[in-house]
Amino acid sequence: MVTSAAVRRVEDVMGMPVTVHVADPLVTAAALGEVFDDFALLDRVFSPFRPDSAVSRINRGELSPDGGGTLVQLVLQLCRMHEAATDGYFSAWAGGRLDPSGLVKGWAIDRACSILERHGHANFFVDAGGDVQTRGLSEHGEPWRIGIRHPVQRDKVVRVVLASGRAVATSGIYEKGDHILDPHTGVPPSGLLSLTVTGPDILQADVFATAAFAMGHVGLDFIEGLPGYEAFAIDRDLRGSRTRGFDALCAAVEGSV
Amino acid sequence: MKRAAIVTGAAMVGVAWIVSYKVTPHPVGLASGLPAQSPASSAASPSPTDSTGTPAPSPTPSPSGASGTFTGADFPNRFGDVQVRLVITNGKISDVQAIQLPQDRQESAYISQVAGPMLRDEVLQAQSARIDIISGATYTSQSYAQSTESALQQAHLG
Repeated sequence: MVTSAAVRRVEDVMGMPVTVHVADPLVTAAALGEVFDDFALLDRVFSPFRPDSAVSRINRGELSPDGGGTLVQLVLQLCRMHEAATDGYFSAWAGGRLDPSGLVKGWAIDRACSILERHGHANFFVDAGGDVQTRGLSEHGEPWRIGIRHPVQRDKVVRVVLASGRAVATSGIYEKGDHILDPHTGVPPSGLLSLTVTGPDILQADVFATAAFAMGHVGLDFIEGLPGYEAFAIDRDLRGSRTRGFDALCAAVEGSV
Repeated sequence: MKRAAIVTGAAMVGVAWIVSYKVTPHPVGLASGLPAQSPASSAASPSPTDSTGTPAPSPTPSPSGASGTFTGADFPNRFGDVQVRLVITNGKISDVQAIQLPQDRQESAYISQVAGPMLRDEVLQAQSARIDIISGATYTSQSYAQSTESALQQAHLG
């Protein structure tokens, strides 16, 4: 099946909406099918909500973390690397149970992008539950425009990031409740409602957003120290703050401070 | 089998949700509550931009062919409660309705006291812009799935 307009396909995978939007003229159903099959595969292996997933079996003590298959080993290795890179603020073992979802999501998006590129695509985005990786330009011939959702007035956005090849990931408490725990204290961090990270790579942006959010108000300083990454945080008083390079990535917003 | 049916039900809820949320060209939707859209109608009319079509999971028919309306238990999260009602016709889910969703009075009351001018100004400005994608934390799908599962069990489809 071949179409000539931008193609968007949305499915519910891994407990969240996944959107693949391709702006290239020729998009095959095979390419999109391969992308969603890969998401489904990762969900079967890593979902903490599926009793038969490797993650669930590890948590029930039926499977040793070292005894999982190649995908499990790879993800656990990535988790260890990013745990070290974030000083333990990102952890797949927060709360004493294995839950690598925060990393698997970004990894899945990254794999989806590779699949689309292998099929010859250069202009698309992949969005999984509000975390997105862009490539190239939109069907309007412009950078993709990624709105950062207002943490409370959820039908509004607070900023628009212009992205061509850039990833954007947001961590927050406004939709899932306090679902991010500080791995050092086991309790939700205080101070922030949401923190958005943008940079070249979605896996890293996602992990860094989770970690920086868990750090609270010093999270922005952490992102400031990461070359290529910028961040925008919204605190409980609905004040926005950002790293030094963030505003330059955004669509002009008159009157912003 | 029991578990499979539950998972299918949750996935269907997801599909109905997404189709109504994601096809909009600008950010609307979640804040105004869940559209009471049935999975069947979502599958029958995919989004205009979804040229390839989105396959909808098939519900697992109940051997008993049950019919009726089943209300799931109330699953709270930080900002409120999530409660789902399923309409079952001849053993198939014909409608999913959200009775309670968490963006409600507690949240807005809290915010109205603390909202500062800075974000309010930015919000107004950003609204005029074309937006391709929204970045934000994902919806409380777990509470939603739990309530759906509870309703399915009452319908003996779970």
